[in-house]
This record gives sequence, structure tokens and C-alpha cells, in this order.
Amino acid sequence: MLEIGLIFRALMRNKIGALLIALQIALTLAIMVNAIFMIQDRNVQMSRPSGLDESNTFYLTNTVFGENYNLQAALQTDLQKLRNMDGIDNAIQINAVPLSDGGWSMGLAREPGEDKNSVGTAIYMVDEHGIDTLGVNLIAGQNFTQQDIAWRGAQDTKWPPKAIVTKALATSLFPDDWQSAVGKTVFISKDQPMQIIGIVEQLQAPWNGWSGVERSTLVPSQLESKSAKYFIRTEAGRRDEMMAAVEKFLSESDKQRIIRQVMTVEDTRKQSYQQHIATNKILTTVIITLTMITAFGIVGLAIFSINRRTKQIGTRRALGATQWQIMRYFMVENFMISAVGVTIGAIGAIALNYWLVNTFQIDPISIDLIIYGVIALFIVGQLAVFYPAKRASLISPATATRTT
Amino acid sequence: MLEMKNINKIFQTADVQTHALRDFNLTVNEGDFVSVTGPSGSGKTTFLNIAGLLETYTSGDFYLDGQNVGMLNDSGRSKMRNQKIGFVFQGFNLIPDLNLFYNVDVPLRYRGFNAKERKQRIEENLARVGLASRMKHVPSQLSGGQQQRVAIARALATDPRFLLADEPTGNLDSEMADGVMSLLEDINKQGTTIIMVTHDPELALRASRRIQVKDGRVSELDIVAEKALA
Amino acid sequence: MFSYYIKIALISIKRNWGLSSLMILAIALGIGATMTTVTVNYLMSADPIPHKSDQLYYVRLDSWDPNNPYNEGISPPAQMTYIDATNLLKAKKAYRQNLSSQAFGVIEPPNPDDLPLFVFGRANSSDFFAMFDVPFLFGSPWDENSDLSKEQVIVLSKQTNDRLFGGENSVGKTLRFESKVFKVVGVLDHYDPKPRYFDISTGAFDDPADFYVPFSLIAEQAVRRSGNTNCWKTFGDGFEAFLASECIWIAFWVELQNQDQVEAYQTFLDAYANEQKNFGRFPRPIDNRLTNVTDYMEEREVVADDARMMMAMSFMFLVVCLLNTVGLLLAKFIGKAPEIGLRQALGASRSTLFLQYIIESGCIGLAGGLLGLLFAYLGLQSVETLYGSYMQGLATLDFNMVVFAMVLALVSTVIAGIYPTWRACRIQPARQLKCQ
Repeated sequence: MLEIGLIFRALMRNKIGALLIALQIALTLAIMVNAIFMIQDRNVQMSRPSGLDESNTFYLTNTVFGENYNLQAALQTDLQKLRNMDGIDNAIQINAVPLSDGGWSMGLAREPGEDKNSVGTAIYMVDEHGIDTLGVNLIAGQNFTQQDIAWRGAQDTKWPPKAIVTKALATSLFPDDWQSAVGKTVFISKDQPMQIIGIVEQLQAPWNGWSGVERSTLVPSQLESKSAKYFIRTEAGRRDEMMAAVEKFLSESDKQRIIRQVMTVEDTRKQSYQQHIATNKILTTVIITLTMITAFGIVGLAIFSINRRTKQIGTRRALGATQWQIMRYFMVENFMISAVGVTIGAIGAIALNYWLVNTFQIDPISIDLIIYGVIALFIVGQLAVFYPAKRASLISPATATRTT
Repeated sequence: MLEMKNINKIFQTADVQTHALRDFNLTVNEGDFVSVTGPSGSGKTTFLNIAGLLETYTSGDFYLDGQNVGMLNDSGRSKMRNQKIGFVFQGFNLIPDLNLFYNVDVPLRYRGFNAKERKQRIEENLARVGLASRMKHVPSQLSGGQQQRVAIARALATDPRFLLADEPTGNLDSEMADGVMSLLEDINKQGTTIIMVTHDPELALRASRRIQVKDGRVSELDIVAEKALA
Repeated sequence: MFSYYIKIALISIKRNWGLSSLMILAIALGIGATMTTVTVNYLMSADPIPHKSDQLYYVRLDSWDPNNPYNEGISPPAQMTYIDATNLLKAKKAYRQNLSSQAFGVIEPPNPDDLPLFVFGRANSSDFFAMFDVPFLFGSPWDENSDLSKEQVIVLSKQTNDRLFGGENSVGKTLRFESKVFKVVGVLDHYDPKPRYFDISTGAFDDPADFYVPFSLIAEQAVRRSGNTNCWKTFGDGFEAFLASECIWIAFWVELQNQDQVEAYQTFLDAYANEQKNFGRFPRPIDNRLTNVTDYMEEREVVADDARMMMAMSFMFLVVCLLNTVGLLLAKFIGKAPEIGLRQALGASRSTLFLQYIIESGCIGLAGGLLGLLFAYLGLQSVETLYGSYMQGLATLDFNMVVFAMVLALVSTVIAGIYPTWRACRIQPARQLKCQ
């Protein structure tokens, strides 16, 4: 303890050197804490379930180019055959796929009219097999029946009278009691009534960055379209095998179309979050490199200061200081510099976060994270100074008596 | 030649004032070989530093080669050091990173000689101290005596009027010291004025003129000796 | 003398290789990180058509919902309705005008055994090619008459031509596109502007188009349209009703050669909107905008937040690296105190010494800059790998960036070197010479 005053006075004589290290530690803390925060934020986003049975589903796009093509008959035949294929649990036609970044959104309002507030939702057009094929959980109300399903032409603007919504959408529409949504009528496209007949637990919209990503609506429509998606759920573990089989079967059964973009939901998730994953990797690299640079800076300056004080250290040893006392001197010195650094750094971290929050719409940081960062940097500092301190402790007491 | 009149040097720290030189008066003539002796802390190193324009003085007048040194700024003093003064130190003070050629080259560069002249002077002076063959070596590959010879070659390379030596043999054994001393005597005979600080009375005796510094003041020893002889 | 300082600096760097390589590495990492992010930002925000960007104007009209302003009233709708776009095209009040939409379709290969080709492209006016300086390898754009008479003509991208015709001059040949016969009138040279400024509705860094067809074919339903569509007013069934609706899905550009033309066009737009009010359209206050390329890219913030954030962080990273360098240079130069004292004794003035050590810092900076370029190259490679197609073409170092990197490295290291050098040159020579 008696050393602290001594170390402090010695530090004051080399203020700039100590300050440089402290500033490095401060900036490292500020950047590190914010980077980790951003990584965590992305990880939370990426870990949200889509609601789909992701490991056993895939989809493809069926694009028709032939003329005088009977779209309705072809779709019915395709789905029938797919559903009967060995290894396939169920199959549907759908207009969009969660997380795929392409889809259809509409607003739902509790009252009809031009100027009523509406809640945005993703629209998925499915038939009565939709809930089973997607793998979503119906937690209230009921599924569509075969009678509910209606054809929808490419330019139609009429909506079917029934819908199934996600719990999140039900909560947005009826904030007091989401379960009360079942049986209620809401309005789509300003004035077309739609009755909510069921609620599913979770089903994400196609756009992962959208604030309403959990708000989706299933409607009982089948698209009469020259470019539609088939969504297929296989028996557990047979997805990859079935992907190839289905592609081959569909391409060969009809030469007037192209089967393209055959893709698993898992790959879609990866692609959807590709930027997140990439950014996280870069941020991780930044944190590691930054910490290493700071650590090397500490090592470099400690070695320098020890070289400069060789004779002084020798003299201390000659006067009876133990090796441990010499080491302790440098470790305490580093601790004191780190303390200044992390204090400035904690303020810097909050300031940087404040700027990020204002510029890039990021949430404010939690204090816990700053505390962990502070502890981590204290440890890094002590580890970095350990080797130079060890070297200092090995300086021979005889150095004291040498003149040069 | 070198003339100091009432030079005072006061070191001022937070709470202590040290009077290193008090009304210091000295004239050194061309061709002198002056030895400066005195106890530790007497001010002999301060005198040498001021004489070598390495340090400023607090008051008094100092003329070097007729030039009033007090009028010069840093670059004027640097120029004068480069042109008129050569230094030899107790610790040799060679640049460890550079080989002998480049060590001797340093003051020649500051003088601004062209490459041909520099090369000629370096080779000539290294030959003069007997180390021409070791031009590519770095200082750590040489003995202490050899290092001091390089330092002397470096000091002489610019043809200075004065050679200031601060305990030039302090770090050498007696055999090497003798060699260095003989070299200095030769140089003096060839016309260079030498001022040498030493604590070794035997070496001091080899100089043509001896002065002593004590408590920041100077006294001539030889005058006493000459009087005794007379 | 300069070359002497450089020689001395190199010797000094070599002799203290541990400390020197630490500094060079720190600077290189800082420069590498900064250059990686700066390059991505620079290419994202690059002016895609520098010689003309102040003559090309994106046109926006506020035909939106009286109750719910588009974009909270900050700016008018980002695209245009079919009615307005075709009216403005017919009016021909600008030097050149272009309306366009994304389109797609299937090309059937001449040999029925080959797989059909699914292609994405654009439907636009004939002026498009001249307005945006699109380079042709073979043939030329279709003319205005082809547009008016809904001719089935097509311009292929170089890549599509390579795939269909093996890179030959295919002008005059025909192909089956969307079950109809189209005549090839032109083949483009490589054309992939970043950002794809003439249509950023689905992303500013999308892949280039595979084909271009006259816009009039969209109304004919000869090709299928895609892209972003936004509607606020209900409309009837069928494509005719859609075309007549208030849905926005078209990008409309004009070329105006000088400020007078810009003002005249603005007046024309406002008069047009007022006239439309007579038909019960344009229920909102008049807000028509002409925005040139660079302003529009800026307004729509094509530079991704991630990229900007990374750039900010990388500059802080560089500051840490420089603080590190300041510390290490300080250590190095103070360690050289005896040498500095000696050089002063041998005739070096302080300014001479200052120059010498600043040059040494500069050498370290240059070495760091060179290594940093290598790091930046590797960094950009990994950015491209990590982000995939999104970053395609945005991760290459051009000459400007290389120069910028070297200047940044040099300047920042010299700045970092000023304090240590100043400290070193303040050394009292006398103290350093006596005892070591």
C-alpha cells in the first residue's frame, strides 16, 4: 500500500506516457463495449424463430412461360402429386416465404374508411394445408376449410372474407386481449371486411429488418399466377433428398415451365441475415485486434520504462526488494493507469453509444456490459504487463554498482 | 582565441539554487594543451559544457575565435560547434546503430560537405587513428580504446580549432589510456588547441598548461610551477 | 541531406526492429481497417455519372393520400403512377425523358433441349440509353417509334448475349421471349453502375439488368413487371384498372441541360399537378420535386448505416493505433537521448534534428501504409466474401484510394511523431554526454 503514493509520483513525472496508455485503454473500452452491444443486438434478432419448421421445409419458384396454359388445373395436379409423394408430409402454393425479403404487405384496421389507422401486416396466401405445411401452431380459433379457398387472379383486388393472424398481430389490433380477436371483423384495403377465424403463435414476415416482422396474416387464396412459389414440408431428415426429387419431378412433368430457386428455409435464414453475420464477424475481429494492439502498446511501453529504469530497479534489489515486490510495482502501476483509462473509457462508451443511438437508431447500452468491459480491460492490462514485470524482477542487484 | 570573462552559471531548480561557476575568467590561446582538474562537483564539467557551447551561461562574456557566443541562437551555436569544436567524451558516445564510417560521417553531414570530400576526410581521419581497416564495423565490435580513437577521428574530421575532451581516458585501462593520450599530444603538435578535463594528475602533467577549478573558480597551476622554477 | 535522413531512419528502424515492427504493424492495422471501410463508403457514395449528374433529374409528384402523407410528409412519393409517367412522357417538355420499371420473363432457347433462361431486366423509354450513357457493344437503342408502336425489340446485356449467342454480334437475330418473338436491336458492353442510381427502389446495389425492352410492352402485358409497388387508393380488378390506379411503381427521369430548363420544367410540373386537380387527383398540396443524381442518392441514403458505422469505428480504431504509435515513438526517441545529445554536440541544430526524427516517423508511416494497403486488400476480400453479392464491385481499391491510404498513413504518422520528436529535441545535450 505504501507504494501507491510512490508509484503515483513516478507516474506524474512521465505523465504523457501514462496518459497515452490510459487513452488507448479508454478508446478500446468505448469501442469494445459498443461493438459487443451491437453484436448482441444482432444475435438477438437472428435467434428469433420464424415460426416455421425450418429444418424440414424448402420451397421453389414455378415460372410458367407457355401460352394457353391452364394454371388452375396444373396447380391442383402438382399439389396432389407432391402431397402423395413418399417422404413428403405436405405441400402448398404460397405467395411469399418468411425471411426471403420479398412479399406482400397490407394494412388491417378495426374500422372501415379512408382515414382510419391501420396496422401493417405481411400477407401469406395459402390453402387449408397452410398451417400444417408451414409448421405453425394454431393457438386459438380454427383453420381454413376447403370451402374457404378461393382463386385470385394476378390483378384481382378483392380479399377473401376470412383470415388467420399471428398472436403479435392480434395483440396490435386488440391490445387489451389478443384472444378476443377470434371472430372479430377487421378491414383490409380500407373497406373490405375480413373475419379473424384463428390465431397462430408465431409466423414472421418476409422482411427481417421490419419493426412489424412478427405481424403476419394468412388468407385462404390460391394465386392464379405464372410465377408462384411451392412450399414443401418433408418427413424429418429427408429434406435434402426430397429437394432433388421434387425438382426433377416438376421439371420433367411439364416442359412449359421453369423450376428455379429451390432453396431450404435454413439457407434463406442464412441469406437473410448474411449482412448481420458478416457485420458480427467484422466487429469481432475489430474487438480482438484492438485489444491486441492495446496490449502490445502496454508491453512496449512497459519494456521501455523498465529498460530506462534498469539501474534504479537494480538499486532497489540491492537495497532488499524481493522479486515479487518489483513485479508488484509494475502491476500496481498498470492498474492505476488502467483505472484512469477505464474511467475515461466508460464515459466515452456512453458518449459513443449516445451518438450511435442518435445517428443509427440503436438501443441504448446496458451498464452491465460496461462493467464487464472494465473488468476485461483490467485483466488484459495485468496480463500485458506481466511479462515486462517479470523481466524487471529478474534484473540483477549487481546492476546497481555498474557505472555504464 | 577562447576568452571567458566573469562567467557565472546558476542552476535553478524548484527550491535549490546552485552556483556552478562564479566569475570564471580564462583565456586559452591557439595551440595550447590545457588540462583542467578539480574535485567532483567543482564545476569543471560545467565549464567544459559552456566552452563547447552545449550549455548557456547565466551572465558574463564569452568570445570564441573573436565571436561573442552570447549573441548566438540555437542554430548559430550548432554551426559554431560543428565548425570550430571537436568533442571527445569519457563514454566515447558513438552511435551504436551506425558503423565507423557513418559515425565519423555525422558532423561532416551537418557541415554540408559533398560526398567526395566526406569520404576523403573519413578515410583520412580513420587512418590517422589507425582504424581505416575497420570502417564497416559497428562500435560494439571494438575495444574501448579503439572506440575512443574513432571518437577522436570523428572530432578531427571537421578540422576543428578546438578539441574538448572530457575524461577521455576515464573508461580505459592504462595501456589504452596512454595510447589515446599520445594521440592527443600528436594532434596538439599539429596545431589543434586542446582542453582536457581529467582527474588523473599524471595525465594532467602531460599538458602544456594546467588549470584547476574549485568551487566554480579557476586557478592556474603552471604559473605557480613556473614561479617555483624561476 | 534528405536522403541521408532516410538512410539514417532506415538504419534506426532496422536496429530497433522489435519496436519498429510493432509500430508499423499498429499503423498498418489502423490504415487497413480504415481503408477497408472508407473504400466501401467511397464506392457506395460515388457519383455514378460524374459528367452528367447535375443534368439528370429524378421527378417526384405528390399524388398521394390526403389523409396519410407519404413518408410522413417529408418527401413526395418515391415513384410515379402510370398515368402521370405516361402524361409527362407525352408532354416532352424536357430535353430527354425516360420512364422505367423492372421487368422479368423467360427466354426460350432456340434448341428445345436446352433449359429456358429466366431473366430480370428493365422496361424503359428509348431515351434511357442516351440519358445514362449506356455503352453499346453491337447495334443501338430502339427508336421512339418502336416505343410508340409497341414493337417487340430487345437490347441484351453482354452477359445475356454471351449466354444466348456465345458473344457474337446478335443484332438482327430473333429470340423467343415470353412466348413471343423479339428482335435483338442492340447488345450492351459491360454496364453495372454502383449505385444503380436510375432505380434504387429495390436496393441501390442490385445486380445489373439482363435485358431492356420498350416500356410500352408493359401495358400490352407482353412482358411481366416486377419491383416495388405502393398503393393508397382502391381500384378495380384487371390490369387496365391497375394502370389507371393511383399505385406508384415507375421511375421517371428527365435530362435538363441548364438552370433555365430546370426552372421551366418545375413550372410545367406544378401546372400539370394543378390541372390534374380538376380531375379529382392530386388531393394534397402541390409538392413536386426535381432532384439531381447526387442529391437524390444523398436524400435516399444509399450508403448503408452499417457501412457508415463501421467507418466511424474504424477511424476510432486508427486513433487507437496512432496513440499506440505516439507512445512507442516517444519511448524510442527518448531512448535515443544520448544520440540526440551527441548529434547536437557535433553540430546539429534542433531544427535539423526535428527534421531527422520527423522523417523517421514518416518512414514508419509509409511502411505502415504499404502494409496497411495489403491489409485493406485482404479486408476488402473478406468483406466481399462475407457480404456476398451485396458488396460485389464495392470492394476494390482504385488509384485514388491507394493514394489516399498512403497520404493518410504518412500524415497521421507524422502528426503522431510531432510530440515525441519535439520532446526528443528538447533534450539538454550536456546532460546526455557526461554519463551513459
